[in-house]
Amino acid sequence: MVDIEIEIDGSVVHGHSGESIISIADREGIDIPRFCYHKKLSVAANCRMCLVDVEGNPKPQPACSTPASAGMRVHTNNEKAKASQKAVMEFLLINHPLDCPICDQGGECELQDVAMEYGSDVSKFNEGKRIVADKGIGALIQTDMTRCIHCTRCVRFGAEVAGIVEMGATGRGEELKIEPFLSEGIQSELSGNMIDVCPVGALTSKPFRYEVRSWQMNSVESVARHDLVGSNIFTQTHKGKVKRVVARDNESVNETWISDRDRFSYEGLTNENRALTPKIKVKGEWQEVSWEAALEAATSGIKKNSAEAFGALASKNATLEELYLLQKLTRGLGSENLDTRLDVANPSSTSALETTISLAELEAIDHALIVNSYLRLEQPMINHRIRKATLNGAKVSTVNSLTFDFNYRVANSVLSAPQNTLATLSGVLKALLEANSLALPDYLKDTKVDQAQIDIASTLSAAENAVVVLGEQVNSNPCADQVAKLVTQIAKASNSKTLNASATGNTLAAEKVSFKPNGGLNAAQMFTANLNTFVLLDVYPTYDCVDSTAAIEDLSRDDAFVVAINSFEDESVLGFADVILPLASFYETSGTHINIENVAQSYGASVKAAGDSKPGWKVLKVLADLLELPGFDYTDSPQVADDALSLSPNVATSEVDIIAMEVPNIATVWQYTPYASDVLTRHAQSLQQTQIGQISEAVVSAATAKILELSQGDCYKGVPVNINETVAEGCVFVHTNQARQR
Amino acid sequence: MNEVCFKNIDKENPSSLATYEATGGYSVWRKILHGELSPEAILGELKTSGLRGRGGAGFPTGLKWSFMPRNQDGQKYVVCNSDEGEPGTCKDRDILRFNPHSVIEGMAIAGYVMGATVGYNYIRGEFMEPYYRFEEALKEAYDAGLLGCDIGDSEVNFDLHTHLGAGAYICGEETALLESLEGKKGQPRFKPPFPANVGLYGMPTTINNTESFASVPDILARGGQWFADLGVPNSGGCKLFSVTGHVTKPANFEIPMGTPFSELLEMAGGLREGRTLKAVIPGGSSTPVLPAEDAMKMTMDYDSIEQVGSMLGAGSVIVMDDTTCMVAALTRLAHFYYDESCGQCTPCREGTGWMYRVLKRIMDGQGKMQDLDLLTSVQDKIMGNTICALGDAAAMPVESFIRHFRDEFEYYIKHGKSMVTKVNSDG
Repeated sequence: MVDIEIEIDGSVVHGHSGESIISIADREGIDIPRFCYHKKLSVAANCRMCLVDVEGNPKPQPACSTPASAGMRVHTNNEKAKASQKAVMEFLLINHPLDCPICDQGGECELQDVAMEYGSDVSKFNEGKRIVADKGIGALIQTDMTRCIHCTRCVRFGAEVAGIVEMGATGRGEELKIEPFLSEGIQSELSGNMIDVCPVGALTSKPFRYEVRSWQMNSVESVARHDLVGSNIFTQTHKGKVKRVVARDNESVNETWISDRDRFSYEGLTNENRALTPKIKVKGEWQEVSWEAALEAATSGIKKNSAEAFGALASKNATLEELYLLQKLTRGLGSENLDTRLDVANPSSTSALETTISLAELEAIDHALIVNSYLRLEQPMINHRIRKATLNGAKVSTVNSLTFDFNYRVANSVLSAPQNTLATLSGVLKALLEANSLALPDYLKDTKVDQAQIDIASTLSAAENAVVVLGEQVNSNPCADQVAKLVTQIAKASNSKTLNASATGNTLAAEKVSFKPNGGLNAAQMFTANLNTFVLLDVYPTYDCVDSTAAIEDLSRDDAFVVAINSFEDESVLGFADVILPLASFYETSGTHINIENVAQSYGASVKAAGDSKPGWKVLKVLADLLELPGFDYTDSPQVADDALSLSPNVATSEVDIIAMEVPNIATVWQYTPYASDVLTRHAQSLQQTQIGQISEAVVSAATAKILELSQGDCYKGVPVNINETVAEGCVFVHTNQARQR
Repeated sequence: MNEVCFKNIDKENPSSLATYEATGGYSVWRKILHGELSPEAILGELKTSGLRGRGGAGFPTGLKWSFMPRNQDGQKYVVCNSDEGEPGTCKDRDILRFNPHSVIEGMAIAGYVMGATVGYNYIRGEFMEPYYRFEEALKEAYDAGLLGCDIGDSEVNFDLHTHLGAGAYICGEETALLESLEGKKGQPRFKPPFPANVGLYGMPTTINNTESFASVPDILARGGQWFADLGVPNSGGCKLFSVTGHVTKPANFEIPMGTPFSELLEMAGGLREGRTLKAVIPGGSSTPVLPAEDAMKMTMDYDSIEQVGSMLGAGSVIVMDDTTCMVAALTRLAHFYYDESCGQCTPCREGTGWMYRVLKRIMDGQGKMQDLDLLTSVQDKIMGNTICALGDAAAMPVESFIRHFRDEFEYYIKHGKSMVTKVNSDG
């Protein structure tokens, strides 16, 4: 890239040779009107709004597609440029309905804004306007295609970013329509970004439809905490309610996109199942009481029992502050029984894998080995970065128990049930070591290597910037620690980086404050140790616990006193809890999220907590005070965050041995759809209505189904059985939005 | 007359390889295969010949070929644009029917000069007979060992494929043609980058009109100077003109550039009895219309036609006599562009429909006087603001029809009917 000087509107500006005029102008703060141009999408040059006068050219040139060259003299607002821009504006408006008063885009519409400067007061168009019939495209995006100006941003977003060719321009001339090719709607975990890129009211947010005018809302900077990225967002609020969530640019985190989960989960905040008032259970009956009474009941219940019989369980999505205070409270009481890993088959064997790659670096990889993950749905923004790399030629290999619909081509795909995953990865590792003539550790001596494993190994060897990703499904594997060790060894042998996506949400905050037992009981052990006191922080055992039935039975024991600091109430919580302290949910509390790059992002509350609920850090601080524990003299949450962030977690480096596993012949992999991954999303109605939200199937091969005596349409652990051959032999892959059953 | 592309038209079986070879066909190609002709020499002759692109834009062919990064690694392509869709033109159809081998040889030579080993001939969807004739000729050429890989141990490679379009006018625009050839929707690409750098499948590509390719073998066989001398300065050689409309013998005529229009009109049998010349569109429907007195002043070459206010275009001469209602004629033309706009970019998508609707309203007797200024203003706003030339093509007739025949439009608006009372028996 050569630095060049060009002149725009008389001032000398700098750019790179070949850079578009509009990109230089944008950097220099020179305003050029545009509709089809979007910095993250390919150039289309079809709206013609950015026509500018380039000296030496008889015709005006589009600033978006004209590369700058040294000495070029550009006029963005002389008579010639203005005439062209006004001409295009006039054409865009003739068939636009101008129904701004009833259009949700009103007030934030690019067409409206640009028309203010370039449009005319009176239209010369006296013919009938074009009307376009809408095809519904699902529960999230509202279409009003009569308003469409055919800029194709949504089409390009779909094809280039989301990797789905579902929106297209059909017909020609005036009959050109932007519509889905199929009438099944847009099935993408990133579809909501189409709303953001649409410059007009053709694509708007369906849940937000007719809620409130855009200018009546406050935009509050916040951070989404559903996944490992912590996408930057604006929560847009009106009268104390979150009305909409939109993306906030942060190039190093989420660029300019957010996932649908981050965008639409806010709907759950107003769900009828929210816990809104403090409650205590008196003789089996719930009584709504004051905060003082509820806290008093909680305190005296906790004080009754010994510290050894106290256990704390927290959600992975809790804030850093909440996790810090709850662990401090637990440890202050003298207990080491605390955990967030409720969904892990064997919490004493967690996947200790360090993440050694940044989000930006993911775009530069040339190979990704994805182990035990449907990354596309689990971590949409991480998957998006990998997809970008594949567009530049990166190859992807997978070791999974089900064939997933990735939005890029998978070069090597190995199906492997959990009980065979160690053998598969051992084969890959052995092939790698042998190819590089490295010494084999003992545990690989008897390992057999097949061609598929050699293929993965040779792709890894050939790559210069590879990454090995370990995903959530490893949690269904009782030997997750061994899988993680093999992944580490594979990365070491192939000089690859690693990315641990096995636990989501704010897991790294839990790591930071050591929210796991150091000598005490882990999540699974707590339910078999006859503990007398439990404090739950936004935990819902029906969904969150691997063996939900056992967990609920244990929590329901007569001698178990359960304090649920929860944002939602469900039947099981109401069944086993003794005190419910209503918790402020996402966006209702200040907090801190630590993302995959170990970046701590703090945010304030966007709205006041619903009902009588209170931010978790306040509840825990007061509870600790009432328990007369020292060190809780906090007056605001940043003080808590400061203390939490100053901790250096004790990294337990226990040696993991690769040993023969004790696993069932037929394993179950339990994977939630992205819209059942946490309590807020589970209560967001629109997300539940999407095709992704409604996935619920137990996929099993014909041979395995025969052993289990299952047939198509039966239920396996409450989930409908789907027999096909996309799944590894010897396992049932449950992909569902339903609560866990035995 | 009929010296180059049509030289075999009166012979028996004009499209056959035997006929083509009997008049010196493939002699240049064989010279190349024997290593007796360098790309530089060919480019030199082409530049001397003054051959300009016969598809309408009139860009010098030799210069266009020299833009190709000949020595760049990777695949390069030559593409022949036989998507002849301009209303009024039918010359390429007859080249494909009667002299297909000249196109094959011209493309092969182009491939050799530009280092392109693969060529595509994109033929208009409606051209079934020309398509089969061309395919037949292609088979003959392959059977005779004139095409393929390492042709006659010469280490020269050239493969040629035929592609039949699906009937969209816009695919005659060279970059829309490339999109269509790639299997995508036929929509023009913005330029730069130009096809010579980023063309078919992203590789360097040169696209020429059928007639341009067909002229190349004879130019090289007989010399660039010979060709140039056939015509006039700045308009070398001879050219095919398709004369249609109100003439008694509409046909294609290959005549030297610079021939007076009056002579061409005579060749086409002149006007019918009792009719007088009213207007002429000299280069296809996209070029401005000329009133009779201007048309009679012109000679058929680039400069002369430009001087009288129009363009030579593809040489498609549409003759209109005094029975023509200019309002109806323009409305028909406007409908064509409205129908054929690809819809990709704003001015053309919205503007062509607007112009057609206003004209339709005038035809329906609902016109207003200010509509004429409106039409002029709309065409002016399309002009120069679009991705491809279709916008300009739609705009130019509107401007010229209203400028030259404003009284007729005003009469129609005032009276709700045409000024022309003489009834054309053609309807």
